[in-house]
Amino acid sequence: MRWLPLLLLLVAGAATADDVYDVLRRGDSGYAEVVPGKTLVFPADHLAHPTYRIEWWYLTANLTDERGQNWGLHWTLFRQALHADGKTEGWTSNQVWMAHAALTTPAGHRYEERFARGGIGQAGVALEEGRFSAWLDDWQLQGDSAEILPGSLHFSVDGTTVQLELDMQTPWVLQGDRGYSRKSAQGQASYYYSQPHIRVRGFIIEPAGEEITVSGDGWLDREWSSQPLADNQPGWDWFSLHLQDGSALMVYRLRHENKRDGERPNEGQHNHWLSGTWITADGHSRALSADEIELTALEYHRVERANDSALELPLRWSLALPAMGDGYRWTIEAMDPHHWLATAFPYWEGPVVAEGSNPGIGYLELTGYQ
Amino acid sequence: MVSKRLGWTLHTLLSHYRHHPLQTLFLLTGLITGVALWVAVQVINTHARSSYQQATQLLGAQASHWIRPAGDGGIELEQYIELRRAGFRQLFPVLEQQLTTSDRQPLNLIATDLLALPMDSVGAFNVTANWSELMQPPFQAWYPQSLAETLDLQPGEQLALASGIRLPAAVIQTQAQQGQRVFMDIGAAMTVLGRTRFSYLAVGGLTPVEQAALSSILPAQLQLVANQQSLDLSELTQSLHSNLTAMSLLSFAVGLFIVFNAVRFSLNARSTTLATLQELGVSVRLLSVAIAVETMILSIIGAAAGVTLGYLLGMQLLPAVANSMQNLYGAVIDHHLLLQPLTILKAWGITLAGLLFALGWPLWQRSQRALASQRSISDDWLQDGKARRMLALGALVLLALALLLYPNMDSVAEGFALLALLLFAAAWLLPVLLAAALAALQSLIPERAWRWRWALNDGWTQLPVLRTALMALLLALTANFGVDTLVGSFRSALENWLDQRIAADIYVNSEKLKVDSVLQSPLIIDHHQRNGVDLRWGLRPAQIYGLDTRAPDSLQLPLAMHNNALAAWYRNEAGVVLANEQVHHMTGIDPGDKITLTTAAGPRKFTVAGFFYDYGNPFYRFYLPYDIVATLWPDAGNRGLALWLERSAQAGGADISSSTSTAIEQKLLQAGAQPGEWVYRDDILQVSIEIFDRTFAITAAMGTLTLMVAGIALLASLLAIHQRRLPEYAHWRAIGVRRREWLLIILLPLAVCVLLTWLLSLPLGTLLAWLLIHDLNVLSFGWTMPMLVQPWPAVRLALLTAVVVATTLIITLLQVRYRLPATLKQLGGDG
Repeated sequence: MRWLPLLLLLVAGAATADDVYDVLRRGDSGYAEVVPGKTLVFPADHLAHPTYRIEWWYLTANLTDERGQNWGLHWTLFRQALHADGKTEGWTSNQVWMAHAALTTPAGHRYEERFARGGIGQAGVALEEGRFSAWLDDWQLQGDSAEILPGSLHFSVDGTTVQLELDMQTPWVLQGDRGYSRKSAQGQASYYYSQPHIRVRGFIIEPAGEEITVSGDGWLDREWSSQPLADNQPGWDWFSLHLQDGSALMVYRLRHENKRDGERPNEGQHNHWLSGTWITADGHSRALSADEIELTALEYHRVERANDSALELPLRWSLALPAMGDGYRWTIEAMDPHHWLATAFPYWEGPVVAEGSNPGIGYLELTGYQ
Repeated sequence: MVSKRLGWTLHTLLSHYRHHPLQTLFLLTGLITGVALWVAVQVINTHARSSYQQATQLLGAQASHWIRPAGDGGIELEQYIELRRAGFRQLFPVLEQQLTTSDRQPLNLIATDLLALPMDSVGAFNVTANWSELMQPPFQAWYPQSLAETLDLQPGEQLALASGIRLPAAVIQTQAQQGQRVFMDIGAAMTVLGRTRFSYLAVGGLTPVEQAALSSILPAQLQLVANQQSLDLSELTQSLHSNLTAMSLLSFAVGLFIVFNAVRFSLNARSTTLATLQELGVSVRLLSVAIAVETMILSIIGAAAGVTLGYLLGMQLLPAVANSMQNLYGAVIDHHLLLQPLTILKAWGITLAGLLFALGWPLWQRSQRALASQRSISDDWLQDGKARRMLALGALVLLALALLLYPNMDSVAEGFALLALLLFAAAWLLPVLLAAALAALQSLIPERAWRWRWALNDGWTQLPVLRTALMALLLALTANFGVDTLVGSFRSALENWLDQRIAADIYVNSEKLKVDSVLQSPLIIDHHQRNGVDLRWGLRPAQIYGLDTRAPDSLQLPLAMHNNALAAWYRNEAGVVLANEQVHHMTGIDPGDKITLTTAAGPRKFTVAGFFYDYGNPFYRFYLPYDIVATLWPDAGNRGLALWLERSAQAGGADISSSTSTAIEQKLLQAGAQPGEWVYRDDILQVSIEIFDRTFAITAAMGTLTLMVAGIALLASLLAIHQRRLPEYAHWRAIGVRRREWLLIILLPLAVCVLLTWLLSLPLGTLLAWLLIHDLNVLSFGWTMPMLVQPWPAVRLALLTAVVVATTLIITLLQVRYRLPATLKQLGGDG
């Protein structure tokens, strides 16, 4: 799951709020509510749900070039409604869009964020000539049909252009209870589905004109809600892994603030909200409950932020699913700690390596650390 | 040893300022006020110029280019979105519109999409206010503080426009480069004002490759234009800044008169001390060093306080100047003043120079006198006659220089030099004229009226000290009267011209108006549809207008000069053009000359048939027949439709009846116009005059300030005179002179002198106005107007002077009254 928040700049108190993530904790006054039992329908549910407060289309990919070097990318389109008044079109539209793109190259990490108002066509998610399209300016995720996949992704970061073909082999994975994903005991929840098995091929064109052919595995998350976080949840740690045998694993932990004195924020895991999904190579999924997951931060790294300040972040973890057997135990580590995104909603996101008897690669996202 | 001696010499000299706090106050006041006005103008000028440099920016974002419609009508949303989706994220949409409030005040609006601004510029934005409330209904309108004050708008209030539309709730908030404009979100502005297109797209930071790519995909109706505004603004506003500088230098000169007076007084008052010091063996050289140190100290205090006050004053004057710049040139000036070290240094420099100048003369005079005579007070009397003659001689030299300069004058700076020469010549002549008048009056008064004779005779005692203050007053009065006459003439010329030029009853400027459908209305008796393009001619932006040559206002075009080719223009012949007067005065082109304009098909020559008056337009403007413009510039856009309406007999034939206006508005709405896209003649006239008055508010403010400085000079002189003469007054009182007689004695010469000064300022002011109108205005702005001398400014100045004199007199009399008993007591003790 991707609890990446939205355009807080636009929401009341942007300059004064201590925690930009507050927007995710707001009560659902007038917005559509996430309720259990709803059946997700495709391709209709790939499109925007403007009556819900927030929504995203979130793609990550671990890639390698022809020389065997590692690349990584994440591309996200966020939608937010400023009001629950139902106006979505024209100049008075209550919809606002934000997009992030980040590229991990053998040389380092580059990212960009963009904003656009809704209702005027500068950004949106819609069927264009019968094809699924999610865009902000010239950044675009486009399906070959009304389905998102197979499709293509085009964006550029700092003069580097990325052009990828995306293909999926297995059905969509509905997270939680058939797509209803609970986020706390107090009832916070979202609609959440994913595609963990995306075959990615394409090329990256460097500013100097050099064209690099890349291929690898991608992961797409779709999620929408009106109040995803509970008041005592400052943020989350989210893992997605592509494993050697073709299976995939998603685990997240929503951190609770009611920790004991003197503890680091993400210790004392019994307090946190843990959830996950195991997905086989042929796309069959099994939800993992909190007592099936053992997640522990092993090492903290000092990570530089934009304004010369630094932050201690857990970038080495141990993860185990003891109920599934002895082979289900990994040590997960960030490939490069310097993946802080100093965006309007700051967070850490980057590629990771998982070591174990069934090793793999994937992405880690850490939010809400201050 | 020497330093110790210098120390106590200085100590002795400086103790004067402790003993005479009021004189100290005046000396510093003169310095500070003079420097302050100069600094205020410097700060504003520097600030304005740096604002022009920022004209490559728009609302904090870079705008190196614009995308404008080739014709007009604006830019469609779809065209913009297409460019954004093609990856041109440097583009952002802008809506600029001139609005009129319900009480006929002009108001400029600028709107953009904050979310579309290039990311690196978002930091420049002030985010204390809430962006979402700006963008979401019911929206917000952001006004800078000074604009809200001008409009008398409270936060939360909704400004009503003449069109009946109400702007969103006001928030007092300023953005970079907002200037004196109301800022709104573009979506909000389009929704509230019913607009469907943007004015233009601003383009920030294009590389040559991107520029080529953008040009290649731009639809034919749109053009990419380099933003040359900062160049244009520097060029266009140069004269206005010279004008401001000249006025500030005048204030400084007036301030110097106070300083001059104060310095002279302080030297006079210390003549005994100076003589004693010399007798005690202090060398002239050491004394000079001590005086130099004293001067240095005074200059530092004066400059420091002057700069501080000037900065504060600059902040007060800035909105008025910003208004002028916005109205005249569309220049946007921000609200944050910067004080540069160079300005401070210059301020100190002129303070020091001024002080040295003020010190120089009295010191030179003193050095001419024998040591012994320096203790004699009545020696001033003798010296005064000599000084008057010297001043008069100087005045003649200045006049001669002015006469030499006048025929060869061809720049604004030389123009101001000429004015300075004339003003100072007049000021220096004043003492001789006053003395002559006193003498003449004395000879006219019969022997019996001894009180009057005594009073007039007392003038000779007052004159030496009063002299400088009266010169300052003359300068201030002359400048005020001259500028009042200039502004008054301009205003009346503008009114007459507007009356002729804005001849139609209603003006419509609408993107979507179906003109043919409107013209079917039987209420319309005539109409004038205009087209036009903007291009560059010479170094400046120029406007080409296509006129319907048979329209009533074309037939009555007010022309400054023309030749036989005019008939050809009226016959719609190609190759004949009318230009505004600015073209004639700024470039020297005469009727019959040929000029080249760049048409769509390339350069083409036109014969100038004449020049029309075009008051206040900083741009060159050319009139051609409508069809010629449409042929030569196929992209020419609509420049509005003027309509003449039928007048009903009941309404007396003069005003349009309300039923007619209701009917025509109905018709316009049916034909596709939006409310607010038409404006009535009376409203244009009223708004134009309003803009004029706002534009010249700065002139009035500077004039009043100069007069205040002169008032302070007068007060300082009067206080100096009476302080010195207190023992004399005590004697008079002792020998039985009554208060009424005493008042007559000190008042009569003063009244005569002030009256004469005021009288003299009238012809001088007229001469100044004449030069300003016939020479400087032409040099600066390129247009002429008939001079109109009005009595009202003269009367106003007389009243103002009377108030100033009365105020200073009351203060002086209170002083005398308060100190006389003590002096009398002293006198008794001495006796």
